[in-house]
Amino acid sequence: MIDPLEHSFVDKDRARQSFVLEDTGFDEVPRRFRRFYRRWCGADDMLAANEALCPVCKVVIRSVKELRAGDLVYCMPCMSRLMLVEEQGKLIAKVIY
Amino acid sequence: MRDWIDPHQLNEDDFKSTVQSFEFWFEAVEGYLHGRPFGVSPLTKEIALSDRRRDGLITTLCNYCVGEAAALEASSGMIRFAPDRLAQVFLATQAVDEARHLEVFLNRLSQLGVPNVDVEIESRANRSLLKFKDRLLEFVDAQDWEAAVFAQNVILECLESTVFRHHAATADPVTAEILAGVISDERRHFGFGENDLGRRLQAAPHVHARLAKIKRDLDTLVLDTFSEVMGELDIAPADRPDLAGDYLAAVARLGFRP
Repeated sequence: MIDPLEHSFVDKDRARQSFVLEDTGFDEVPRRFRRFYRRWCGADDMLAANEALCPVCKVVIRSVKELRAGDLVYCMPCMSRLMLVEEQGKLIAKVIY
Repeated sequence: MRDWIDPHQLNEDDFKSTVQSFEFWFEAVEGYLHGRPFGVSPLTKEIALSDRRRDGLITTLCNYCVGEAAALEASSGMIRFAPDRLAQVFLATQAVDEARHLEVFLNRLSQLGVPNVDVEIESRANRSLLKFKDRLLEFVDAQDWEAAVFAQNVILECLESTVFRHHAATADPVTAEILAGVISDERRHFGFGENDLGRRLQAAPHVHARLAKIKRDLDTLVLDTFSEVMGELDIAPADRPDLAGDYLAAVARLGFRP
């Protein structure tokens, strides 16, 4: 049996999952961008593989593809450019100025 | 034909020119303010407030008015010495936001039965917040872009955002809805500040020491204001939101130590 902790966070050779985004009612950006963001529901809010939490404004950023370390995303509600990084087995977004 | 655009596919220049445009602002605020005169849906009903709660809310709103008036005067003054046209346009949208915030808070004071809001603000305003306003406007008068952005868009906006979010969670329905609209605006303001300063500090690290001194000078005023507002809202010290968690996290991302 392989210890799951010995696995890397993401199998980088595996094709990325794709996601169809629906509008979640987030209304703080123009309509054409709204499906790419949703409200964060607090510490119990489990992020999907295509989501990242903006550390600046605490809005959930969404992508049409699974997110991986090194990806760049934008948070339109607070105008931030972010890079996904892996820290302690978790994928988190960091601001790039 | 699809009716959406993937923002993550934009190049950096296009992203910046999009989010700092008047057009973006107009479509964004339309989403959460349309059909809400003075920030409140006609369907939202008032609840009865006890005298003590009403009085605390009036004092809090008076201080919100001081903060918003400071941001209105500062953001409109900064347009003249903004570093580029995009920043000028963004600040114009921020000035409009701040004017709206001031207006909705003044309107709320009138709804609560305050006969002369100017007299009430004068008598109830937090002294530390007034000092903070004076310092901020000194930076604007001196056309000191870095200091003005730091004091207004990072420090003041972070303080306001933290207080508004936690107040909205316990406020009466009308005040909570007003605050929700204001919070949505604040995301743009502190995001602009953090990103603008972050870029500047990378390009000119020597600015860091000067801003660190400004931060030390203003921290006391910010924390005094925060503590007093939390008391007015009748929030026990143990239940108070973690200003440090939000404010210090923002300044830590810019490289400032607590």
